[in-house]
Amino acid sequence: MLEDIKEKFIEDLKSAQSLSDLNNLRVQYIGRKGIITSQLKSLSSLSPAERPLAGKIINDIKLLIENEIASKELIHKEAELKNQLLSEYIDITLPGKYTAPGCEHPLNKILLEVIDIFVRMGFSVEEGPEVELDFYNFEALNIPKEHPARDMQDTFYVSDDIVLRTHTSPVQIRGMKKRKPPVRFIAPGKVYRCDADISHTPMFHQLEGLMVDKDVTFSNLKGVLITFIHLMFGHETPVRFRPSFFPFTEPSAEVDMGCILCNSVGCRVCKGSGWLEILGAGMVHPVVLENVGYDPEQYNGFAFGMGIERIAMLKYQIDDIRLFYENDIRFLRQF
Amino acid sequence: MRISFEWLKDYIKLEASPQEVSERLTMIGHEVEAVEELADDIVMEVNVTPNRSDCLSIFGLARELSASYGIPLKFPEHQFAAESGQLDFNIDILDPDLCNRYAGRIVKNVEIGPSPEWMKKRLEKCGIRSINNIVDITNYVLLELGHPLHAFDLRTLKGNCIRIGTPKTVKGNGIAVKTKTLDGAERPMHDDSLLIWDAEDSIAIAGVMGGLDTEVKSDTKDIFIESAYFDPISIRKTSKALGLKTESSYRFERGSDIKMLKKALDRAVFLMKKYGGGQIYGKIDIYPKIFYPPEINLKYEKVNSFLGLKLSREDVIKYLKCLGLEIEEMPDYVKVKPPSFRRDIRRDSDLIEEIARMYGYDRIPIDLPKASICFDDPENKTLTQRNKAKDAVRISFLKNGCTEAVNFSFMGGEDLDLLMLADGDERRKATKVMNPLRIEDSYMRTTLIPSLIKNILHNIAHGNKDLRLFEISKVFIGNKSFMENIDPQDAKLPDERLHIAAICYTEKAKTLYGDTTHEFYLIKGIVEAEFKSLKINNYSFKRSSEPFLHPGQSADVFVSDTKIGFIGMLAPSVISKLDMKAFKPQIAVAELNLDTLTACASQALVYVPLSRFPYIERDTAVILDSSVESSLIIKLARAYPSDLIEDAYIFDVYQGGSISEGKKSIAFNIRYRAADRTLKDEEVDILHKSLVEFILHQTKGLLRA
Repeated sequence: MLEDIKEKFIEDLKSAQSLSDLNNLRVQYIGRKGIITSQLKSLSSLSPAERPLAGKIINDIKLLIENEIASKELIHKEAELKNQLLSEYIDITLPGKYTAPGCEHPLNKILLEVIDIFVRMGFSVEEGPEVELDFYNFEALNIPKEHPARDMQDTFYVSDDIVLRTHTSPVQIRGMKKRKPPVRFIAPGKVYRCDADISHTPMFHQLEGLMVDKDVTFSNLKGVLITFIHLMFGHETPVRFRPSFFPFTEPSAEVDMGCILCNSVGCRVCKGSGWLEILGAGMVHPVVLENVGYDPEQYNGFAFGMGIERIAMLKYQIDDIRLFYENDIRFLRQF
Repeated sequence: MRISFEWLKDYIKLEASPQEVSERLTMIGHEVEAVEELADDIVMEVNVTPNRSDCLSIFGLARELSASYGIPLKFPEHQFAAESGQLDFNIDILDPDLCNRYAGRIVKNVEIGPSPEWMKKRLEKCGIRSINNIVDITNYVLLELGHPLHAFDLRTLKGNCIRIGTPKTVKGNGIAVKTKTLDGAERPMHDDSLLIWDAEDSIAIAGVMGGLDTEVKSDTKDIFIESAYFDPISIRKTSKALGLKTESSYRFERGSDIKMLKKALDRAVFLMKKYGGGQIYGKIDIYPKIFYPPEINLKYEKVNSFLGLKLSREDVIKYLKCLGLEIEEMPDYVKVKPPSFRRDIRRDSDLIEEIARMYGYDRIPIDLPKASICFDDPENKTLTQRNKAKDAVRISFLKNGCTEAVNFSFMGGEDLDLLMLADGDERRKATKVMNPLRIEDSYMRTTLIPSLIKNILHNIAHGNKDLRLFEISKVFIGNKSFMENIDPQDAKLPDERLHIAAICYTEKAKTLYGDTTHEFYLIKGIVEAEFKSLKINNYSFKRSSEPFLHPGQSADVFVSDTKIGFIGMLAPSVISKLDMKAFKPQIAVAELNLDTLTACASQALVYVPLSRFPYIERDTAVILDSSVESSLIIKLARAYPSDLIEDAYIFDVYQGGSISEGKKSIAFNIRYRAADRTLKDEEVDILHKSLVEFILHQTKGLLRA
């Protein structure tokens, strides 16, 4: 009799297709009015001696039924969950929602990189006006009126004695005037010259550096600038110093680095020479030191300057300087 | 300057190849910018620096190579057999400060004709057109020795004399003088310009250009050749005033060799006799201001301490001597007299450069400075703080989707008109550039907005949509005379202020996630995010009256009581003037004074302890007049006297539907928390009720059912 129930249950379980089928099965067998429940109730008609054994058999079957239903339920639940999740699939290839971060302007990106290198070498950052007195832009830098060196720079004038600074060098004067040596600073910023073509814009960026102390040598100048070029362009970059002329340095030097585009073999950018002009530099002219009240017999130093556009053009292989100032986002988004 | 390699070898026996020689010139300071290979010669383009007028000639560069290679130098042939006696001819220098020396010779019965082929060719290679043998010879000597000469037709000189002086000296103050120059122009001369005169008129502009009436012509027989030293500054002033630059003025204004002029004159007449025949007459040489070289003392020890070298005394002497410097050795130093062609050498540092040049910059050792750590001056400390705050603002804008633009600092008057700025607006006090490249670039910017509008137009024209740009740059306003303790010279300069400006434009295209946020709130969010990044909390927005902004969709931005800028939508009247195809485009802009802003950011932060106790929140909706600004609710909640209100924010604003015309519903959330205990619901109920009543009372609003 009990064996029949068990077999019947196993048959029924096989045909149960859903969670509700299983639930019906549970009610049918072990619910309050279920087959097994009524069997348990009928135990009371047996003699006390028979009850334990019969009870155990029925309880075993009840346990089996409970377990079987529970395990099959679990399988169904998992399958159902899986189905539900499947129906919740979304297109993961659609783009995410976010505020796309803006892009840095390549000139400022390079400028910050250069500043960072010099700050690591112990230089602080100094500023000066962009609309500047002729005195600071020229005269204090040993470029008197009517000096042919003024031809090197086409100047925008605001009045006879006020100019748009043609270089960051006037910051040297202002920076030294307000301190006593030792002095070690860089001065990045915008400068202006009336010139416009594929390689010149009327405004561009320079970075000036100055170090004044006792016993500063030309060797030190070489050390600092070679370190800078190596950190900026790689440690294998060849560097050469050659004599040049700036009214505010003596000796003056032009610093070339091996062409990074052709590996110094010679190309269009380096005009076949294998070298690229990258920096102007020199030992601070004694007249400049005198102009700011420093004693050139006691102190000396070096100064250098570089064009940020040029470095950015070389680094990113940009061939037209005007791109920097169009602010076309197709260009800006590349940086 | 163009130099022929074949010509160069007339003065120095060079074994090295043209490539090696051009490399050498570059490394001693005369950069060879280009090398042109011709069939039978090499032409080098040499960039001679403005301090080295002595190298503006083939002989001058040969002299440098001779010093560098240690190869002897050969001066060109300039001695001739006999002079045909002295003529009655007078030279009178009236302004000896402007003309230190003037020499001349007369050559009679020359035959004007073409120059020999070799000379024509050499001149052409160096970029000078052949005219006739006499003119060509003066040009040839100019290229060869770097000294400008001038030939006059003797028959046109009235009164057998040459006078050198300014109109002021010759004619007196304020008398108009015109000079007819070779190019046919009749030029009015400045009172102080040095001219050459005959007995009657001005016949040439000294050192700049000869006169038309006295020039050598095809039928000229007798000539007077001038070789002089003119004051560089005077020549430069004249050349600049006339806008006239010649091979001659270029050299005179850089300084010519006062000793060379005699040899150059002889070299020229030597060549004239050889290629034009004629008799040479005696030289007239007036030299009122004798050149004395400066005496410079150079300490041996300074050479090494300056360059970081260990040169011996002998080495120092050797390098100085090879450059033709006159030397007297002393125990610790050397007394140096530079030659007349090296007027650029004035101090010991100039001599140190010469030694470094001859030694070779590349051989100087590389050594990092052993520098003391720079003291931290207060000046720089504030600058560093400001720069850090500036960087934080920049990063905040980048993070919020703005791409960085960099524009020229210029603007045009029409840019200010576009913004409809009132006459008294300080942005009208712009710095004007006297010589702009374009009329649209006549002023320095006083606002960054016009440049950013142009960037937007450029981008739209190139099919770029969805634009958010910002720029950090200086603006230039008025002058600094209002500042206290300012240097009177500096007071004339404009007040330079660092600004940040942003612009947002979105083309209303279909987007995937349908964001309908008004552009005003986009730009406001960008500005608020910046305040958060600087930890500035006391900011506020008040309706703006900027003439170029939409009056209903713009705000002035304040930090405590200081106005630092504005945000808002460009007014339709501004947009209608822009070249835009889009229908009613919406452009949001913002501009803030970064100097003021970053000054606000420097407050020290102090930590507020965290409460360990739970919070209770209450949501409430109220109905208000639609003119009431929502920020009032937050302001009232903050102002309400209770320590338990931790936070308040608005989460919904609704108009229309069940809300009657002219009203709006605002829903807000208040969060309560105590620092020292767990709040009870009943306690919060009472507090919240009285807060809401306070808000309703202040706003004349109603509770939304």
